[in-house]
Amino acid sequence: MHELDLSRLQNELLRSGVAPRHVRRTVDELSDHYEDLVEQGLSEGLDSRSARSGAMTSLGEFEDIARAVRAQPELRSWAFRFPRVAAVVYPLTCAVLLPAAPVFIGAAHANHLARWALCLFLSAVVTAAMFLMLQMAITLT
Amino acid sequence: MAQSNPPFMSGVPELLLLRLLDQNEMYGYELVRSIRAATGEAISLGEGVIYPVLHSLERNGSLKSKRKAVSGRTRVYYSLTKKGRQRLGKLRDDWRRIQGGIANALEVPSHA
Repeated sequence: MHELDLSRLQNELLRSGVAPRHVRRTVDELSDHYEDLVEQGLSEGLDSRSARSGAMTSLGEFEDIARAVRAQPELRSWAFRFPRVAAVVYPLTCAVLLPAAPVFIGAAHANHLARWALCLFLSAVVTAAMFLMLQMAITLT
Repeated sequence: MAQSNPPFMSGVPELLLLRLLDQNEMYGYELVRSIRAATGEAISLGEGVIYPVLHSLERNGSLKSKRKAVSGRTRVYYSLTKKGRQRLGKLRDDWRRIQGGIANALEVPSHA
């Protein structure tokens, strides 16, 4: 197979804690580089299959590229560089955001929420009226 | 294909990239070609490994990048910053010192 598939490299980098923006950028630039290599191969008279195969070889093994990325600690996401800080900040952020989430979501969908509340109120009124009528029927008989 | 030489490569790609970008702004593919030409193909890298070095140099302020649309494709061009020039000067001095030391060591006759 001579088609460039960078998804394995992308997953490997994300798993090893490389910041997503650096992963995205690395993958984009590698992809462009590969296209340049293929164009070069074609311009030298290679057929498409050979040009792609040659481009893959020139680009290098994904393991080597992943190792080169991992060797640059500043490309890692901050949570991987400062795990102790992340261990404090993440739970605190969740503790603040999770209770506030319904408020934010409610504010963002106020119209739907108002309609839903009105329906709920009306159905409660209808149910209460039915119970009342039932109770009266029982009492009167 | 030229043979790669990983054991001696530590710090070399950084030095070469800074040196080449001191002359012109370039994008990755262009840089690899320039490294080959400038070193007479003595240094051959798996071409993909230059991107982490470029990103790291940009992150520490030695390089800056900008996107340019060229022939219908967007390319990321890198250029040297003031900090990068200082870093290049230091790396060049270090390299010359090591090179001189090794040259001396090679010229000294070995003892029996």
